[in-house]
Amino acid sequence: MLRRSASILSAALAAVVALTTLTACGSGDSQGAADDKAPLEIWVRKPPGSNTEKTHQQLAAKFTELTGVPAHVTALFDDFETKLQQAAAQKKLPDLIVNDTAQLGTLVKQGLVREVDRPGTKGGDQLIPASWDAAKGADGKYYGVPFSAQTFGLFVRKDWREKLGLAQPTSWDELDALATAFTTRDPDGNGKADTYGYVVPGSTKRGYLDWYFSSFLWSAGGDYFAKDGKTPAIGDGSSVAAAQRLKDQFCTAKTVVPGAATAETTQAHPLFETGKGGIYFTGPYNMARFDKSLGKDRYEVIALPAGPGGRSVSLAEGENAYLMAGSKNRTGQQRYAEFLVSPEGQTIGMAGDTDGNVVRLPVNKGMDLAAVRKDQRWLVFDKVYREAGRYVPVVKEWTPFRQASAEALNGMVADCGSDPKAVLGKLAGTFAAELTKQGVGS
Amino acid sequence: MWLRPSAGWARGRLTPWLFLAPALVLFALFKFLPMWRAVEMSFHEVRPYLGDRWVGGANYQQVVTDEAFLSAIGHTLVLAVGQTGGSVLLGLALALVLEGTARRLWIVRTAVFLPTVTAMAVVAEVWRILYYPAADGIANSLLAWVGVGPSQFLNSPDSALWSVMTVGVWRGAPYDMMIFLAALAGVDRTLYEAAAADGAGVWRRVWHVTLPALRPAFVILLTLAAIRSLRVFTEIFLLTNGGPNGSTEVLMTLIYRLGLERGELGVAAAGSMVLLGVSVLLTLLVGLSRRGRTGKAVT
Repeated sequence: MLRRSASILSAALAAVVALTTLTACGSGDSQGAADDKAPLEIWVRKPPGSNTEKTHQQLAAKFTELTGVPAHVTALFDDFETKLQQAAAQKKLPDLIVNDTAQLGTLVKQGLVREVDRPGTKGGDQLIPASWDAAKGADGKYYGVPFSAQTFGLFVRKDWREKLGLAQPTSWDELDALATAFTTRDPDGNGKADTYGYVVPGSTKRGYLDWYFSSFLWSAGGDYFAKDGKTPAIGDGSSVAAAQRLKDQFCTAKTVVPGAATAETTQAHPLFETGKGGIYFTGPYNMARFDKSLGKDRYEVIALPAGPGGRSVSLAEGENAYLMAGSKNRTGQQRYAEFLVSPEGQTIGMAGDTDGNVVRLPVNKGMDLAAVRKDQRWLVFDKVYREAGRYVPVVKEWTPFRQASAEALNGMVADCGSDPKAVLGKLAGTFAAELTKQGVGS
Repeated sequence: MWLRPSAGWARGRLTPWLFLAPALVLFALFKFLPMWRAVEMSFHEVRPYLGDRWVGGANYQQVVTDEAFLSAIGHTLVLAVGQTGGSVLLGLALALVLEGTARRLWIVRTAVFLPTVTAMAVVAEVWRILYYPAADGIANSLLAWVGVGPSQFLNSPDSALWSVMTVGVWRGAPYDMMIFLAALAGVDRTLYEAAAADGAGVWRRVWHVTLPALRPAFVILLTLAAIRSLRVFTEIFLLTNGGPNGSTEVLMTLIYRLGLERGELGVAAAGSMVLLGVSVLLTLLVGLSRRGRTGKAVT
């Protein structure tokens, strides 16, 4: 009897095994016929539960209302790229993602995004022409639709500056002098030497330190590549001078908040909020956060003063809508991207003066920023974007360059005995090798 | 016999496999197939939607010749040795101090055990605060009392690896302590009494009675800890992300960086295979050394 039961159990198990295997095989097939009504799965790089996620949900709901195509938004923030790689490995990518412009090269290289027909994109001619640069691959084709632009400005502790009787900095020397004053003259008046000038996210994660440094590099007259785009310029005189200046703040003037060499942005923000550092070069999206945590009256936003290169250049970034490979609903992908850049989509995305804004600066030239937002500080960023904004160089894949640069700079500031000329000389060699690897240069 | 011999033989052979089947299917789906895919990836430039490109052993060549990989292997080994040794020694010391049956000891043991069960993200944040590298940081305030510092801890290439190691020892020691406590409970009390009657002091009793009794616990702990340390990731990722200046980069963080931050999945897979090879080799060596010892004991 027992044996018979065992036989029956064995047969049942075998059936379960066969079924499991078949199901597993069947679920691997993600490719199907085209379907203009298939629901759209959208991933956005925003913290789950945040107001920015809610804005994206509003966008999706409005899109569904207008077109009848269901759209579902998933917000992912930490390790967004990791999760995307996992989805790619399973060939189950979302239909559309809204992610950083700087990710373009990586996405194109791996074939995760499909080409966008710029002239065929409804409303594409209404976008600021420069914004399309952020969606252009090294082959001159477009692989995304620009959705939001942003640039960076100096967040300065106004209360500290006024207490010390100093004016807003108009040159880099004045900026450094302000940082020194914040470090040495006890601006918070607590009788302790526990304040510093610059807050710097100096970790190598996601290439943060290079991300921070690039505006200073360009404003100092330096650059990553020579004008031909085929040879590195990162080891040249002006670039080295910019790096030397960065290192001096860490090692000589000691005006950088301690812990910067391993700090990511999530660890850097609190240093500004809690009064450790008084000057933070960061993006407009932090205004809502700092207004709450620090107080709107206690800090001001100013453009980066012109550097030794004679001008002020600020890294321009933003987010693109990427149309992902393998989607069943290609028409829906295109229509969603077109909706995002339409005046209606951009207005919802700007979310007025709230912290739910996902469109930092509109890319649609028909939009009037001042009409949607009453907060005048946004105009500082808008002006900087239009006059001094510069996107990262167009190469096949920017990530390896940014990562290599962040690692070299991190090594330089972490070791005060380092020689910036030698560090950047070595980095130029790495750049040359990477250019060759990407099929550019000699 | 209710079956013919040949059918019985077949069924006898088949039945255990059918019972094993659910586990085998789960393992195949979630372990062996991904592992096989990783082996495949390690010989390719991986491009999921464009088709993988065969590159032969180039990924492996990059792994074994790349300066970053060699330095990461070095850091991994230093960390493995330091963290394993430190945790075992501190764990043993704690176990000896906290051994006993008194009821209040359980409270102390639970308190000591907390670091092991606390989420690594929380531990990392706490230690980042403790390690704040200015004179008013908590650890630096303590150092100032003895006239040392302030130290940069995680922010200097000279001290970052040691600082991470300290966190690892602090977190790992209580786990080792629990294993030692369990082993100590099995030590024959009469041996202590006999040793005491012979005039042996505390240290002699520890050396000649306790430590020999703990030998199996040592072997298990060293094997587990060494393999775990080779795959150290979370504490590095959260505390320093491999920096500053790559001074805490270990194999796992480098593989993560290459695979998921730079999209070099093929090279990352090759790195994983090297790590797997080293782990298997280490396990086999420990296994062989134990078998050798058992064999000697039997003969």
